[in-house]
Amino acid sequence: MIVTYNWLKEFVDLDLPPSQLADLLTMLGLEVEAVTPCGEGMDDVVVAVVEERAQHPNADKLSLCRVNNGREVLGIVCGAQNFKAGDKVALAQIGATLPGDFKIKRSKIRGEESCGMLCSEKELGLADESAGIMILPPDLPLGIPVFTALGLKDTIFEIGLTPNRADCLSVIGIAREIAAKLGKKIRHPAFTLVDNGAPIADRASVVIEDPQLCPRYTARYIEGCRIAPSPRWLANRLNAVGMRSINNVVDVTNYVLLEYGHPLHAFDFELLAGGRIIVRRAGEGEKFTTLDGQERTLTSSDLTIRDASRGVALAGIMGGENSEIKDTTTNILLESAYFNPTAIRLTSKRLGLHTESSHRFERGADIAILTRALDRAAALIAELAGGTIARGLIDVHPEPVPQRTIAVRLDRVNRMLGIALTTDDVAAIFRNLEFDVVLSGPDVMAVTVPSFRVDLEREIDLVEEVARLYGFENIPVTMPTARVFSDRPPRAQRLEKEVRSLLVAQGFNEVINFSFIAPDVYDRLLFPPDDPRRDAVKLRNPLVAEQSVMRTILLPSLLETTAANISHRELNLRLFEMRRVYHPRPGQELPAEPLHVAAIMTGRREPEGWCQGNEPVDFFDVKGIAEALLAPLRIPSVEYGTETPEPFYHPGKCCTVLVAGRAVGSLGEIHPDVQENFGLSQPVYYLELDFNRLIAHDSQQASIHAPSRYPDVARDIAMLLDDGIPAARVLDCVRGLRLKEIESVAIFDLYKGEHIPAGQKSLAIRVRYRSPERTLTDDEVTRMHQRVIDALVGKLNITVR
Amino acid sequence: MKDKLEALLQQATADLAQAASEDAVQELRVRYLGKKGELTAVMKGIGALSPEERPLIGQVVNTVRDRLEELLAATQAAVRSRSKSLRLQSERLDVTMPGRRRPMGTRHPVTLVTEEIADIFAGLGFQVAEGPEIEIDYYNFEALNFPKDHPARDMQDTFFVDDNVLLRTHTSPVQIRTMLKHAPPVRIIAPGTVYRCDSDATHSPMFHQVEGLMVDKGITFGDLKGILTIFVKQLFGSGIGVRLRPSFFPFTEPSAEVDIACVICKGKGCRVCKNTGWLEILGAGMVDPEVFRHVQYDPESVSGFAFGMGIERIAMLKYGISDMRLLFENDLRFLRQF
Repeated sequence: MIVTYNWLKEFVDLDLPPSQLADLLTMLGLEVEAVTPCGEGMDDVVVAVVEERAQHPNADKLSLCRVNNGREVLGIVCGAQNFKAGDKVALAQIGATLPGDFKIKRSKIRGEESCGMLCSEKELGLADESAGIMILPPDLPLGIPVFTALGLKDTIFEIGLTPNRADCLSVIGIAREIAAKLGKKIRHPAFTLVDNGAPIADRASVVIEDPQLCPRYTARYIEGCRIAPSPRWLANRLNAVGMRSINNVVDVTNYVLLEYGHPLHAFDFELLAGGRIIVRRAGEGEKFTTLDGQERTLTSSDLTIRDASRGVALAGIMGGENSEIKDTTTNILLESAYFNPTAIRLTSKRLGLHTESSHRFERGADIAILTRALDRAAALIAELAGGTIARGLIDVHPEPVPQRTIAVRLDRVNRMLGIALTTDDVAAIFRNLEFDVVLSGPDVMAVTVPSFRVDLEREIDLVEEVARLYGFENIPVTMPTARVFSDRPPRAQRLEKEVRSLLVAQGFNEVINFSFIAPDVYDRLLFPPDDPRRDAVKLRNPLVAEQSVMRTILLPSLLETTAANISHRELNLRLFEMRRVYHPRPGQELPAEPLHVAAIMTGRREPEGWCQGNEPVDFFDVKGIAEALLAPLRIPSVEYGTETPEPFYHPGKCCTVLVAGRAVGSLGEIHPDVQENFGLSQPVYYLELDFNRLIAHDSQQASIHAPSRYPDVARDIAMLLDDGIPAARVLDCVRGLRLKEIESVAIFDLYKGEHIPAGQKSLAIRVRYRSPERTLTDDEVTRMHQRVIDALVGKLNITVR
Repeated sequence: MKDKLEALLQQATADLAQAASEDAVQELRVRYLGKKGELTAVMKGIGALSPEERPLIGQVVNTVRDRLEELLAATQAAVRSRSKSLRLQSERLDVTMPGRRRPMGTRHPVTLVTEEIADIFAGLGFQVAEGPEIEIDYYNFEALNFPKDHPARDMQDTFFVDDNVLLRTHTSPVQIRTMLKHAPPVRIIAPGTVYRCDSDATHSPMFHQVEGLMVDKGITFGDLKGILTIFVKQLFGSGIGVRLRPSFFPFTEPSAEVDIACVICKGKGCRVCKNTGWLEILGAGMVDPEVFRHVQYDPESVSGFAFGMGIERIAMLKYGISDMRLLFENDLRFLRQF
């Protein structure tokens, strides 16, 4: 809603400067989003008179003028044709800056000096279009700023209204709020309506066939109007709030719309068949052309205004082309009606047709203001367009609804807000808002709210009114006295934070990708047609097709993020994402939303630098990340399954991650085809785990041993064994002996190739022996070590090298 | 004999003064004190002395030997310390060369801000609650007093899955789910991902909110001001100005927008705050009785407040980010800075 300071001043006494008025409105809940001074910095555009107009010696279309600004006579070159000597004009003097940062300088135009410019309305920002320069009224004194002379110095407020405040979609509505806050009374527009024509009943009639959608319809008839451009004051005012001036009659309806907030419509009466208005729903599939020239197809839920034979307006939204006011119109039927908010909203939404009128009706118009707005507009039309107003008005109002009365308990007000007002305080606030207050019991008020406050229905609504007018800033700040809670954050939340910390510590940067992705990514991931993860939640109204399905796996987003970063020459990446994925569940309305954690790495293992290694990352880097993640979380019974878990991995370089025998995710090198499908030209390593499954079992309690005081003995075994035997079995075999003196066993070398028989590998392990109680003798260690070797030979058929 | 010994001592002192390395000192030790050394050679002549002379000369021999030992040790120490300091000098590094790096990663700014907010509210006794992102219309709208076909729904452009299922447009449905599960008192915050079909420099189709809800006996609007004032001061610093002004949300009444003094211009007025000096950072209000009705709480016996804020908005203010899209482009050059 846009209002101006001067306009507000017509209805309420204002002595606040505009900036303070803006604060007052904002603190009332009418948020002022912009304050724009109008005519500021335009003092160098002054009233001047053209004393002489002569042909420019070197240009046919230019004239050379002598212009008097009250102090001196200046030579000005002007290209307009619409003026003559003696006209008062708007002179932009040297040094003036016009809208669009257009600076006026002394210049030579075709050899003649020009000391300023004669301005059009467009150049002054007063109109979108103008033909020729602006000719001012002859009585304006010379030398004073044009904006001051025309009364155009003003301040424009843009107010962002919340959808509940339909009553503030008008200048009077906003003035009323200001008056309530300042404890003043508003002045309604003063006008005299002379309806001395023939009785309206002789001319027109109105029938409401659908009183549910149109509870009230009022109309007046005006005969013998002359359609003409609006007077300047009217055009300027509409212009100031961003509305285009059309003609005197249409402008009056718009002016009253802005003033009272009530939408009106003017019909060319001669085009209404039978002089009749019928309010009825459209026929299913009916075609109707609105006055914007668009043909629209209506349904039987759309309310129309009709004459004896056809639709003439889309009720409450827009008039019809067939009955609009034209330059030739003389007789007018003026409509002021009330329409059902939901019906207007549904039609307006379906047709994508949002107008000043529909905006107000769908938020709830004031059913009691109809005749006042109607009379105001009729009087203005008669004043500006001539014409005679028919006697009386039509007011069809089958079932008037009484005003609402709401009981308000003082105690409730004070307890909800944490204040201590008296009944008198609260009643005063209500009365300032034009509510009627009657004491209906001890500290209980019966409050009758006016018809324009359609948002007030319950006691709590009135509690809010008290808070608003009392001022949020005046309510004391307190701290709640609350009962004590003792819950720690649940384990899942703690572990989630822990996982992020661990990955950050491992050098990973967290990313957040959109949850919706392109539907074709599953092909690019090589998912077979029956992969359950192809079954994704689809959006009915995505912004773009590339964001139309909810992801079932994090991988595609991370591959795309990786490719995007590589295109910026970021070749060494460690990225992770910890977000939900969405898995539809048969028979359930909502999908499962498990939390996944995924990490991707590519490029060099260490950052570039003079003292850094430059090997690329490989499978064992990503596996090391999994190990580094799971160990501190104390996830029990972790295993790495050797079968190929996913189609998007290199089949020989991937594994499943199992917790207590159940798959919780996988890791490996991305398949070269997938890599290619995502535009990646370097190997990429990936890990994705289902966090909920990962932590499904309680963490292992750490059991701590005191360190032994005795020395250790380390013995190595270099062995040859079948290449197909996983290293994990070698370690398991040693650990399986359960010798308590074996402190640790670790692999320290793996070799295949030259000097090793085909199908075999060379593996070296180090076993560290130590007793907690004494120093082990050489003999003891040798005996134990032999048992280790025997077990390996016996179970895995190794050869000691 | 005595003269011989004194000459020997003199010679040894002169030799040691010349010794430049530990090896040279060792050589001198052998030459003077070794089994075939010069002192031994002199002592061989003791047998030829008279019994009266023998103890006297013996004493001189001992003095010379002690003196020689002393000299050798001192020279040895001096030589060693000289060579160590020479070595240390020659090993000087250019310490301005960069160190060996194993850089830490970074948390996403949305995570950083979410965790900071959760920490502040944890200190005020609020627990973290969660709810689904793909939500039923009832929880997202109906139960929060957004009737069907009401203009209030225009405030939130919604992604639909079907007529009844949508991507939640705010974290407020977690309020409903929490209250349906727990009797009062309730004190939760609910951080989470939300969606609206809107995309430009200040709107992202996916973004994040933190919802808060406190319900108990006797909770007032003044309490809401108290909790939010503490929160804002902890998040933005104790000097920051805070104001609540009336607004409208279907699920709270009275409703408020909470503004902080503009962190860019300190309240003087700038482009970011549209010359108002204030920045809107969260919406709040007293829980509407209609919402309590949906969760079977008695609005006559309990009251409460709710609030919600956009994480991105706060992250953008805290870190001076002007385009929201940067947060989801995941450009490492951006992420690395956090």
